[in-house]
Amino acid sequence: MDGAPALREPSQRVSPRARLMWTLEAVVQVAFPTVALVVLSGPVDAFGLPWWAWLLWVVVVAAYVAVVPSWRYLVHRWEVTDTAVYTQTGWWARERRIAPMSRIQTVDHVEGVFSRLFGLATVTATTASAAGALEISGLDKQVARRLVDDLTVKADAVEGDAT
Amino acid sequence: MTSTAQSELARDAEWQRLDPRMLLVHPIREVLRFLPVIVVVVLGSTAAGGEQWQLIGVGIPVVLGLMRYLTTSFRISSGRIELRRGLLNRHVLSTPVDRVRTVDLTSSPIHRLLGLTKVRIGTGTASTSDEDRIDLDGLPVDRARALRAELLQTSTADDVAVTDRATDRDVLVFDPAWVRFAPLTGSGVVIGAAALGAGSQLLQSVGFWDRFDPENVDVPGVPLGVLVPLLVLALLVLVSLLSIGGYVVTNWGFRLTRLGGARGGGETWHLSRGLFTTRETTLDDERVAGVNLSEPLGLRVAGGARLSAIVTGLSRSQQGSSALAPPAPRRIVERVAREVLDAAVPVDAPLVPHGPLAARRRWTRALLPALALAVAALVPVALGAPVWLLVGLLALPVAALLARDRTRSLGHALVADHLVSRSGSVVRRRRILEVDHVIGWNLRATWFQRRAGLTTLVATTAGGSQAVPVLDVPEDEALRVAHRALPDLMGQFSDSPANLDDGCLA
Repeated sequence: MDGAPALREPSQRVSPRARLMWTLEAVVQVAFPTVALVVLSGPVDAFGLPWWAWLLWVVVVAAYVAVVPSWRYLVHRWEVTDTAVYTQTGWWARERRIAPMSRIQTVDHVEGVFSRLFGLATVTATTASAAGALEISGLDKQVARRLVDDLTVKADAVEGDAT
Repeated sequence: MTSTAQSELARDAEWQRLDPRMLLVHPIREVLRFLPVIVVVVLGSTAAGGEQWQLIGVGIPVVLGLMRYLTTSFRISSGRIELRRGLLNRHVLSTPVDRVRTVDLTSSPIHRLLGLTKVRIGTGTASTSDEDRIDLDGLPVDRARALRAELLQTSTADDVAVTDRATDRDVLVFDPAWVRFAPLTGSGVVIGAAALGAGSQLLQSVGFWDRFDPENVDVPGVPLGVLVPLLVLALLVLVSLLSIGGYVVTNWGFRLTRLGGARGGGETWHLSRGLFTTRETTLDDERVAGVNLSEPLGLRVAGGARLSAIVTGLSRSQQGSSALAPPAPRRIVERVAREVLDAAVPVDAPLVPHGPLAARRRWTRALLPALALAVAALVPVALGAPVWLLVGLLALPVAALLARDRTRSLGHALVADHLVSRSGSVVRRRRILEVDHVIGWNLRATWFQRRAGLTTLVATTAGGSQAVPVLDVPEDEALRVAHRALPDLMGQFSDSPANLDDGCLA
């Protein structure tokens, strides 16, 4: 026996352009609280913040925008075999999801606003459990299309009602 | 199929109205709903001396009730249930009979007086809107029961036989002695708090708090040091009485029956309860994916527990239909769990602990916030704040007790084709899920968890809270459990598939 069994990472990476998309999303995410802070402390004058609080905020926000998308890119992976779908998502908290092909109910292909800017798409395979949807975001559009077709054919090939 | 059942369906095939006795129920209910308005109208008109206003005040609800009766009709034909309703917005709801998952009969006191009941047909739809519910409000009880038998049989088995009364067996019958558990449940506290809140609101609205002055409380002959504990005691008694009241109203006559598989194999669980409003639920045994045995702290200390079913197609918002045992003595609740699962091992089997690293996580997660609280109490006191702030230090021993208990609770097992997982302290839960109902696996690990080699293994399922988590289990053990539960799934994604079969602890 050579060591304890461990789950390996899924084989496929998402598109490298996903990093750009996640960066843009991160910028938009932090923009709202930043604007709110500036407006509330400036024109509205609800509270004043010392200079070091601003510095701290800027450092945290910059780190978030600079680091998290790349971190995410390192983590996000997927793999589809004849019998199962396996995804890995997240950054700080890593979530691996595995579902047998026989339990896949629907396959969604979504191109959000940000995705379309970068020619990307999200594929979601849902199961009968609300806690069990497998989402792969940041896929190249062509890859996503092929994946949807592939999943649909494979899920169809398995018998049963998926509940 | 019996001849009575046949005629039942034949009768249902035509569009038909609900029971005419609902003409009595609707006006009474509408009058109750409009009561404040009616009181105002009646008082106002008495003062003004106009009797026609009083007539209108009573008349409008009656007409509304009549309208509702005339505009609602349903039929069951060619395999579909259809419900038409609405006066201005016509609303037609239609669903295939074989999608029916539950049939609940609810009878309010007015219904019971007239021998009627409300039939709620559950299809497991995700919609929570009232509009999309299939409620047949107002059928005679016998007819509703026949309808229920009919609907559930068509959806479970094709060869329908007469229900064999001989195989029906009561699994759990309510014992009034169980009300002693009522004040110890979380819902007891909630009911109490709600009642207190309402009471305080009432006092506020009469201006009590404005006139209330703590300095001037003066009950002759009773010093404040006695009065305050007395008031607290009175409060406790009041909350206990209220929660006992709530328990009795909901659970009086609780009866869980197994309706035996004499008709084509399909066993069902039948549950009825309620003091004033009675409620009957029927669950198909095949859809009972597992059970959730929960012990809120108070209940656990008193040796009690409660049980609910994880039912495929019933989500958390419909938990009301999945209770299997009210707060009751633990050994009785466990017996019910064994019977529902048809296996004793998952309920009794000792659990595999998750090891020292999982225990350390329990301790750090409990102690760190408590430590912060203690520091937040100490520093101001050191700087001259009032000494009573030191009660913040109590957080430390409480957190330690909590951590110890949470560590002890933690455990899992995979026995007799059931995944068992236990965790929690304030509410300790033992979740038992049949392996056949596991849809997939989620393995979630934060950076801290990964560093400790732990992961939270989540078995997803289509019922209850949709997931059975196994908290902070060592990664290799999680993999082995998942592999043994669903063979041929994990192996292909594992570094060393051969080792998956060895040394599984659970």
